[in-house]
Amino acid sequence: VSSTILIVDDSRTVRAMVRTALEEDHHQVVEAADGVAALAVLAGAPADLVITDVNMPEMDGLSLCRKLRADGRRRGVPILILTTETSSAVKQMGREAGATGWLVKPFHPEQLRQAVLHVLRRASS
Amino acid sequence: VTAAPNAGIMPALSKQTREREVVLYIGGVHASEQPIVIKTLLGSCISVCLYDPVEHVGGMNHFMLPRGGGTGLGPDATRFGVHAMDCLIGAVMKVGGDRRRLVAKCFGGAHVLDVRESVASVPQQNIEFIRTFLQDEGFRIAAEDMGGYHPRHVHFHPRAGRAFVKRVESSATASRLVAQERPPEIAVPQYGDVTLFE
Repeated sequence: VSSTILIVDDSRTVRAMVRTALEEDHHQVVEAADGVAALAVLAGAPADLVITDVNMPEMDGLSLCRKLRADGRRRGVPILILTTETSSAVKQMGREAGATGWLVKPFHPEQLRQAVLHVLRRASS
Repeated sequence: VTAAPNAGIMPALSKQTREREVVLYIGGVHASEQPIVIKTLLGSCISVCLYDPVEHVGGMNHFMLPRGGGTGLGPDATRFGVHAMDCLIGAVMKVGGDRRRLVAKCFGGAHVLDVRESVASVPQQNIEFIRTFLQDEGFRIAAEDMGGYHPRHVHFHPRAGRAFVKRVESSATASRLVAQERPPEIAVPQYGDVTLFE
Protein backbone atom coordinates (compact mmCIF):
# COMPACT_ATOMS: atom_id res chain seq x y z
CA VAL A 1 0.00 0.00 0.00
CA SER A 2 1.40 3.39 -0.99
CA SER A 3 1.95 5.87 1.84
CA THR A 4 3.18 9.44 2.07
CA ILE A 5 6.58 9.58 3.75
CA LEU A 6 8.40 12.74 4.78
CA ILE A 7 12.22 12.51 4.71
CA VAL A 8 13.99 15.09 6.85
CA ASP A 9 17.76 15.29 6.32
CA ASP A 10 20.12 18.19 5.67
CA SER A 11 21.99 16.14 3.08
CA ARG A 12 20.51 16.19 -0.40
CA THR A 13 22.53 13.07 -1.22
CA VAL A 14 21.09 11.12 1.71
CA ARG A 15 17.54 12.30 0.90
CA ALA A 16 17.99 11.05 -2.66
CA MET A 17 19.25 7.66 -1.41
CA VAL A 18 16.27 7.28 0.95
CA ARG A 19 13.85 8.40 -1.76
CA THR A 20 15.23 5.83 -4.21
CA ALA A 21 14.78 3.05 -1.64
CA LEU A 22 11.22 4.02 -0.72
CA GLU A 23 9.99 4.63 -4.24
CA GLU A 24 10.75 0.96 -4.93
CA ASP A 25 7.64 0.29 -2.82
CA HIS A 26 5.70 3.04 -4.62
CA HIS A 27 5.55 5.34 -1.60
CA GLN A 28 5.00 9.01 -2.20
CA VAL A 29 8.06 10.79 -0.84
CA VAL A 30 8.30 14.42 0.25
CA GLU A 31 11.48 16.07 1.53
CA ALA A 32 12.60 18.68 4.04
CA ALA A 33 16.12 19.82 4.91
CA ASP A 34 15.57 20.39 8.66
CA GLY A 35 12.97 20.32 11.44
CA VAL A 36 11.54 23.77 10.70
CA ALA A 37 11.05 22.94 7.02
CA ALA A 38 9.49 19.60 8.04
CA LEU A 39 6.87 21.33 10.22
CA ALA A 40 6.07 23.66 7.31
CA VAL A 41 5.60 20.68 4.98
CA LEU A 42 3.39 18.89 7.51
CA ALA A 43 1.28 22.03 8.02
CA GLY A 44 0.35 21.82 4.35
CA ALA A 45 -0.18 18.07 4.02
CA PRO A 46 -0.13 15.18 6.48
CA ALA A 47 2.35 12.32 6.21
CA ASP A 48 1.90 8.67 7.19
CA LEU A 49 5.49 8.44 8.41
CA VAL A 50 8.37 10.80 9.16
CA ILE A 51 11.98 9.67 8.73
CA THR A 52 14.39 12.17 10.23
CA ASP A 53 18.11 12.71 10.80
CA VAL A 54 19.27 13.99 14.22
CA ASN A 55 21.98 16.61 13.57
CA MET A 56 20.50 19.34 11.37
CA PRO A 57 20.55 23.15 11.33
CA GLU A 58 17.56 25.24 12.50
CA MET A 59 15.80 22.37 14.30
CA ASP A 60 17.33 18.95 15.00
CA GLY A 61 15.52 15.65 14.69
CA LEU A 62 14.90 15.13 18.39
CA SER A 63 13.29 18.59 18.73
CA LEU A 64 11.14 17.79 15.70
CA CYS A 65 10.10 14.57 17.41
CA ARG A 66 9.06 16.41 20.57
CA LYS A 67 7.15 19.04 18.56
CA LEU A 68 5.19 16.38 16.71
CA ARG A 69 4.40 14.43 19.87
CA ALA A 70 3.12 17.63 21.51
CA ASP A 71 0.88 18.41 18.53
CA GLY A 72 -2.57 16.89 18.96
CA ARG A 73 -3.13 16.40 15.22
CA ARG A 74 0.21 14.71 14.54
CA ARG A 75 0.82 12.95 17.84
CA GLY A 76 0.28 9.52 16.35
CA VAL A 77 2.49 9.76 13.26
CA PRO A 78 5.31 7.19 13.40
CA ILE A 79 8.81 8.71 13.44
CA LEU A 80 11.92 6.79 12.43
CA ILE A 81 15.26 8.36 13.29
CA LEU A 82 17.91 7.73 10.60
CA THR A 83 21.27 8.92 11.87
CA THR A 84 25.01 8.35 12.18
CA GLU A 85 24.54 8.61 15.97
CA THR A 86 25.36 5.30 17.67
CA SER A 87 25.56 6.50 21.28
CA SER A 88 23.09 4.68 23.53
CA ALA A 89 22.53 7.92 25.50
CA VAL A 90 21.40 9.79 22.37
CA LYS A 91 19.32 6.80 21.32
CA GLN A 92 17.59 6.87 24.72
CA MET A 93 16.93 10.58 24.20
CA GLY A 94 15.27 9.66 20.93
CA ARG A 95 13.08 7.12 22.64
CA GLU A 96 12.10 9.64 25.30
CA ALA A 97 11.37 12.23 22.60
CA GLY A 98 8.82 9.81 21.18
CA ALA A 99 10.65 8.19 18.26
CA THR A 100 9.18 4.95 16.96
CA GLY A 101 12.52 3.50 15.88
CA TRP A 102 16.23 4.20 15.46
CA LEU A 103 18.18 3.29 12.32
CA VAL A 104 21.92 3.81 12.13
CA LYS A 105 23.50 4.97 8.85
CA PRO A 106 24.66 3.69 6.51
CA PHE A 107 21.35 1.99 5.87
CA HIS A 108 20.72 -1.05 3.74
CA PRO A 109 17.84 -0.14 1.39
CA GLU A 110 16.04 -3.42 2.02
CA GLN A 111 16.42 -3.05 5.79
CA LEU A 112 14.98 0.47 5.61
CA ARG A 113 12.06 -0.68 3.49
CA GLN A 114 11.28 -3.52 5.92
CA ALA A 115 11.37 -1.17 8.90
CA VAL A 116 9.09 1.29 7.08
CA LEU A 117 6.65 -1.47 6.17
CA HIS A 118 6.59 -2.78 9.74
CA VAL A 119 5.98 0.66 11.25
CA LEU A 120 3.27 1.58 8.73
CA ARG A 121 1.45 -1.72 9.32
CA ARG A 122 1.59 -1.25 13.06
CA ALA A 123 0.30 2.32 12.76
CA SER A 124 -2.66 1.28 10.64
CA SER A 125 -3.66 -1.67 12.81
CA VAL B 1 33.95 14.24 18.62
CA THR B 2 34.79 10.99 16.96
CA ALA B 3 32.03 9.88 14.63
CA ALA B 4 33.32 6.36 14.21
CA PRO B 5 34.73 5.25 17.58
CA ASN B 6 37.78 2.99 17.36
CA ALA B 7 37.87 3.32 13.59
CA GLY B 8 41.12 4.60 12.18
CA ILE B 9 42.04 7.07 14.93
CA MET B 10 45.16 7.34 17.08
CA PRO B 11 45.47 10.17 19.65
CA ALA B 12 48.94 11.39 20.68
CA LEU B 13 50.69 14.45 22.10
CA SER B 14 53.13 16.43 19.97
CA LYS B 15 56.49 16.77 21.77
CA GLN B 16 57.32 20.02 19.99
CA THR B 17 54.09 21.93 20.53
CA ARG B 18 52.35 20.03 23.32
CA GLU B 19 49.37 20.31 21.00
CA ARG B 20 47.26 17.21 21.11
CA GLU B 21 47.45 15.25 17.88
CA VAL B 22 44.86 12.97 16.39
CA VAL B 23 46.11 10.71 13.62
CA LEU B 24 43.50 9.47 11.17
CA TYR B 25 43.81 6.26 9.23
CA ILE B 26 41.44 4.90 6.57
CA GLY B 27 37.88 5.19 7.86
CA GLY B 28 38.71 7.79 10.52
CA VAL B 29 36.53 10.85 11.21
CA HIS B 30 37.34 13.45 13.86
CA ALA B 31 36.03 16.93 14.69
CA SER B 32 36.99 19.29 17.49
CA GLU B 33 36.63 22.77 18.93
CA GLN B 34 39.98 22.34 20.72
CA PRO B 35 43.42 23.60 19.56
CA ILE B 36 44.52 20.21 18.28
CA VAL B 37 46.10 19.04 15.05
CA ILE B 38 44.54 16.26 12.99
CA LYS B 39 47.07 14.42 10.84
CA THR B 40 46.88 11.87 8.10
CA LEU B 41 48.89 10.36 5.25
CA LEU B 42 47.12 10.01 1.91
CA GLY B 43 47.77 8.11 -1.27
CA SER B 44 44.76 7.47 -3.49
CA CYS B 45 42.43 8.13 -0.53
CA ILE B 46 40.75 11.48 0.04
CA SER B 47 40.59 13.61 3.17
CA VAL B 48 38.14 16.46 3.47
CA CYS B 49 38.60 19.17 6.08
CA LEU B 50 35.41 21.03 6.98
CA TYR B 51 35.64 24.30 8.92
CA ASP B 52 33.21 26.83 10.37
CA PRO B 53 35.01 30.21 10.22
CA VAL B 54 32.62 31.83 12.72
CA GLU B 55 32.60 29.21 15.48
CA HIS B 56 36.22 28.17 14.79
CA VAL B 57 35.50 24.46 14.81
CA GLY B 58 36.26 21.84 12.22
CA GLY B 59 37.03 18.26 11.41
CA MET B 60 38.58 15.88 8.94
CA ASN B 61 37.86 12.44 7.51
CA HIS B 62 39.82 9.90 5.46
CA PHE B 63 38.04 7.63 3.02
CA MET B 64 39.20 5.11 0.48
CA LEU B 65 36.43 4.71 -2.10
CA PRO B 66 33.44 6.78 -3.24
CA ARG B 67 30.95 4.04 -2.46
CA GLY B 68 30.66 0.33 -1.73
CA GLY B 69 29.67 -2.18 -4.34
CA GLY B 70 29.51 -5.85 -5.09
CA THR B 71 28.92 -8.55 -2.52
CA GLY B 72 30.94 -10.22 0.16
CA LEU B 73 32.90 -9.10 3.20
CA GLY B 74 33.37 -5.37 3.58
CA PRO B 75 35.32 -2.98 5.76
CA ASP B 76 33.72 -0.42 8.03
CA ALA B 77 31.43 1.89 6.14
CA THR B 78 33.23 5.15 6.81
CA ARG B 79 35.78 4.01 4.26
CA PHE B 80 33.16 4.97 1.72
CA GLY B 81 32.73 8.59 0.73
CA VAL B 82 29.01 9.29 1.22
CA HIS B 83 28.96 7.90 4.72
CA ALA B 84 32.35 9.39 5.63
CA MET B 85 31.04 12.81 4.58
CA ASP B 86 27.75 12.33 6.44
CA CYS B 87 29.71 11.40 9.59
CA LEU B 88 32.08 14.36 9.20
CA ILE B 89 29.27 16.90 8.72
CA GLY B 90 27.44 15.48 11.76
CA ALA B 91 30.62 15.49 13.87
CA VAL B 92 31.44 19.14 13.01
CA MET B 93 27.86 20.15 13.83
CA LYS B 94 28.10 18.36 17.17
CA VAL B 95 31.08 20.50 18.19
CA GLY B 96 29.16 23.66 17.29
CA GLY B 97 29.61 24.10 13.54
CA ASP B 98 26.78 25.45 11.43
CA ARG B 99 26.40 23.41 8.27
CA ARG B 100 25.47 26.49 6.24
CA ARG B 101 28.84 28.13 6.95
CA LEU B 102 31.12 25.14 6.47
CA VAL B 103 33.88 25.43 3.91
CA ALA B 104 35.87 22.49 2.58
CA LYS B 105 39.51 21.74 1.85
CA CYS B 106 40.18 18.54 -0.09
CA PHE B 107 43.35 16.51 -0.41
CA GLY B 108 44.57 13.21 -1.83
CA GLY B 109 43.51 11.19 -4.84
CA ALA B 110 47.09 10.56 -5.98
CA HIS B 111 48.00 7.83 -8.43
CA VAL B 112 50.51 6.13 -6.15
CA LEU B 113 50.17 2.86 -8.03
CA ASP B 114 52.49 2.62 -10.98
CA VAL B 115 49.75 3.41 -13.50
CA ARG B 116 48.86 6.48 -15.51
CA GLU B 117 45.94 8.69 -14.55
CA SER B 118 42.64 7.67 -16.11
CA VAL B 119 38.95 8.48 -15.70
CA ALA B 120 38.22 4.97 -14.41
CA SER B 121 41.00 4.88 -11.82
CA VAL B 122 40.14 4.84 -8.10
CA PRO B 123 41.92 8.16 -7.38
CA GLN B 124 40.09 9.90 -10.22
CA GLN B 125 36.76 8.42 -9.11
CA ASN B 126 37.45 9.71 -5.60
CA ILE B 127 38.21 13.19 -6.91
CA GLU B 128 35.11 13.25 -9.11
CA PHE B 129 32.97 11.99 -6.24
CA ILE B 130 34.07 14.60 -3.73
CA ARG B 131 33.76 17.51 -6.15
CA THR B 132 30.23 16.42 -7.11
CA PHE B 133 29.21 15.71 -3.52
CA LEU B 134 30.41 19.07 -2.20
CA GLN B 135 28.75 20.94 -5.06
CA ASP B 136 25.45 19.06 -4.59
CA GLU B 137 25.50 19.73 -0.86
CA GLY B 138 26.33 23.41 -1.26
CA PHE B 139 29.80 23.43 0.32
CA ARG B 140 32.41 25.80 -1.07
CA ILE B 141 35.85 24.33 -1.74
CA ALA B 142 38.26 26.88 -0.24
CA ALA B 143 41.39 24.92 -1.15
CA GLU B 144 42.33 21.64 -2.75
CA ASP B 145 45.39 19.64 -3.65
CA MET B 146 44.26 16.45 -5.38
CA GLY B 147 45.61 14.16 -8.07
CA GLY B 148 49.19 13.79 -9.22
CA TYR B 149 51.49 10.92 -8.35
CA HIS B 150 52.81 11.65 -4.85
CA PRO B 151 51.42 10.73 -1.42
CA ARG B 152 50.63 13.65 0.89
CA HIS B 153 51.02 14.36 4.60
CA VAL B 154 48.10 16.55 5.70
CA HIS B 155 47.95 18.46 9.00
CA PHE B 156 44.69 20.22 9.83
CA HIS B 157 44.14 22.66 12.70
CA PRO B 158 40.37 22.64 13.22
CA ARG B 159 40.18 25.79 15.39
CA ALA B 160 42.10 27.86 12.85
CA GLY B 161 40.78 26.08 9.77
CA ARG B 162 44.33 25.88 8.44
CA ALA B 163 45.62 22.88 6.54
CA PHE B 164 49.23 22.12 5.67
CA VAL B 165 50.18 19.68 2.95
CA LYS B 166 53.55 18.14 2.21
CA ARG B 167 54.04 15.91 -0.80
CA VAL B 168 56.07 12.78 -0.10
CA GLU B 169 58.75 11.93 -2.62
CA SER B 170 59.84 8.72 -0.89
CA SER B 171 59.12 5.60 -2.93
CA ALA B 172 59.17 3.53 0.28
CA THR B 173 56.28 5.59 1.68
CA ALA B 174 54.40 5.25 -1.59
CA SER B 175 54.86 1.46 -1.55
CA ARG B 176 53.61 1.26 2.03
CA LEU B 177 50.55 3.31 1.13
CA VAL B 178 49.77 1.18 -1.88
CA ALA B 179 49.69 -1.86 0.37
CA GLN B 180 47.43 -0.12 2.91
CA GLU B 181 45.08 1.45 0.42
CA ARG B 182 44.65 -1.41 -2.02
CA PRO B 183 40.86 -1.69 -2.18
CA PRO B 184 39.42 -5.08 -1.29
CA GLU B 185 38.38 -6.97 -4.41
CA ILE B 186 34.85 -7.03 -3.11
CA ALA B 187 33.90 -4.06 -0.98
CA VAL B 188 30.53 -3.43 0.59
CA PRO B 189 29.70 -1.15 3.50
CA GLN B 190 28.82 -2.58 6.89
CA TYR B 191 25.30 -1.38 7.55
CA GLY B 192 23.93 0.16 10.74
CA ASP B 193 21.57 -1.38 13.30
CA VAL B 194 17.79 -1.06 13.26
CA THR B 195 15.94 -0.68 16.59
CA LEU B 196 12.18 -0.44 16.79
CA PHE B 197 11.01 0.86 20.18
CA GLU B 198 7.99 -0.69 22.01
